[in-house]
Amino acid sequence: MKGPAFFSRFARNRGALLGAMVILLVALAGVLAPLLFPTDPLRIVAQPELWPGEDPALPLGTDSLGRDILAMIVHGARATLLIGLFASAVATLIGVSVGATAGYFGGWLDEGLMRGAELFQTIPNLIFVLTIVVILGSTLGHIVIAIGIVSWTPIARLTRAEFLALRDREFVQACRTMGMGHGRIILGEILPNALPPVIVLSSLVVAGAILFESAVSFLGLGDPNVASWGRLVGDGRQLIRSSWYISAIPGVAIMVTVLCLNLIGDGLNDALNPKLRDR
Amino acid sequence: MAGRIGPSSRRASALRLLRRRLVQAVPLVLGVVVINFVLIHLAPGSFLDLMTAENQVSDPATVELLRKTYGMDDPLWLQLVKYIWALVHFDFGFSYRQNMPVIDAIRINLPATLLLMISSIALAFAVGVAAGVVASIKVRTGWDTLVSVLAMFFFAAPSFWLGIMMIVLFAVKLGWMPVGGMETIGGAGGGVGGGLGGILDIARHLVLPTLALGLFYAAIYARVMRSSMLEVAQSDFVRTARAKGLSRRRVTVHHVLRNALLPVVTILGVQMGTVLAGSVVIESVFSWPGIGSLLFDSVSSRNYPVVLGILVLGSLVVIVANAAVDLVYMWLDPRIEVR
Repeated sequence: MKGPAFFSRFARNRGALLGAMVILLVALAGVLAPLLFPTDPLRIVAQPELWPGEDPALPLGTDSLGRDILAMIVHGARATLLIGLFASAVATLIGVSVGATAGYFGGWLDEGLMRGAELFQTIPNLIFVLTIVVILGSTLGHIVIAIGIVSWTPIARLTRAEFLALRDREFVQACRTMGMGHGRIILGEILPNALPPVIVLSSLVVAGAILFESAVSFLGLGDPNVASWGRLVGDGRQLIRSSWYISAIPGVAIMVTVLCLNLIGDGLNDALNPKLRDR
Repeated sequence: MAGRIGPSSRRASALRLLRRRLVQAVPLVLGVVVINFVLIHLAPGSFLDLMTAENQVSDPATVELLRKTYGMDDPLWLQLVKYIWALVHFDFGFSYRQNMPVIDAIRINLPATLLLMISSIALAFAVGVAAGVVASIKVRTGWDTLVSVLAMFFFAAPSFWLGIMMIVLFAVKLGWMPVGGMETIGGAGGGVGGGLGGILDIARHLVLPTLALGLFYAAIYARVMRSSMLEVAQSDFVRTARAKGLSRRRVTVHHVLRNALLPVVTILGVQMGTVLAGSVVIESVFSWPGIGSLLFDSVSSRNYPVVLGILVLGSLVVIVANAAVDLVYMWLDPRIEVR
């Protein structure tokens, strides 16, 4: 598909455009966090439990220890988005590898790999993530890998279906006749054609991964050195009787981000699969 | 062949399906066990180290005895074989923290989790299907927009956060609902054993957790149901039904609705594991006495036999739920022989 056509289709979806703009802002906040709030966001700056608006210098108030909530939200944006992106990348890498192999070669390999996918779908996902994180240790890397491990199966199924549809098409047969190796056919010929729907799904996996990470952090099993949004919700939990805003604000941040990522996914879907637009 | 002639052949194919599911479950459960067993042995520091540290056992002879009891001196593969052999006999090992067999510790906590799961799925299904039907009948009207806006909201809201916000509003501010737990402590109810009052008490405690967990899935089902209704409404057999002169209402209920439910039932089956995992988080928010609390205790104390047991039994719950979903699927669409 040509670039301009793609962009104009994407832009026609107002929700997707709005989502993209908000995510851009969140990403910008994450990137610029060290400039906007150069000091450690976990530093105590004022008296604890200052409500939003009470002090103009601290527009979102302070938490139970007197830390600036706005600073923590902005710094948390970086962690949250990076975790989502990397976890989705891990899931896409596993899912595309498994799906492509299964769809291209078929036979017992297909059968075995899909049984494996079923296995990973059977294990209750978050319980598995918690187990992995607790066993291997709560570091960002382990959390990212664990989320990737439980999120790859839909991508594998979709990639497999695309490969099944494409593997016997004329252009692939032509490549075979030319004596091209399996690796080159899979990576160079079929994969580029199979990718558009996979990209849509990957963008949705980013949103799912952010929700996963927030749940892990909320339960207190996140990386102790990272103040992600989920952890902020969990930190404020003890004070919901007096200062419920401490939990509410980071939750809104998670929700808006996930919502906008979903809107982007919808927009990508419309732009890449125009046939499905009116569903 | 699918039996679509009489009830007896339908029952036969349902039995055949169940048998096939049972056979397929064996390698699945085996796979789950192997994955988790390997994972747990990747851990730095064994549960034996932790156990001895916690109970301040330093006598080498005692440690050696414990190692023997737990089979720690066997090679890994032999430990695995022994573990599987024990599982076949429903022996999940012994939990030193609860001081009871693992299977008993799980059995005590499982009903509360199952109750939360079932009520959440029921809510999600009822609300989601109803909302999807309304949106598709009133497509491109205010109702349609309302449903899709609400669906987007609940699809993006983290369940634990939604739970906390509902506690703030309905329990702390308005005082309509209990803050958490499963029954009123010291209340007259006395739980399930307390007759109607006890059941009502539990039901009251169940409302907020069910909403927090179920609304996310309701959002998914509403979206799928809407697009599925719209798609089925355009198919040939619906046009035929309309052409026959059937009323719009009859066509929608008997022809469109029934067929449009199929994709919803499919994702319901796929998501069973997610619902179970999600209930663990919600249990933590509402102090619901289910598998979640047991899991946290076991995970933080490295009580691996219990963790393994929860993962294996959790997967079993998913497999059983999937078989149930397949039966529903078959009932909805007799043409389909579920693979």
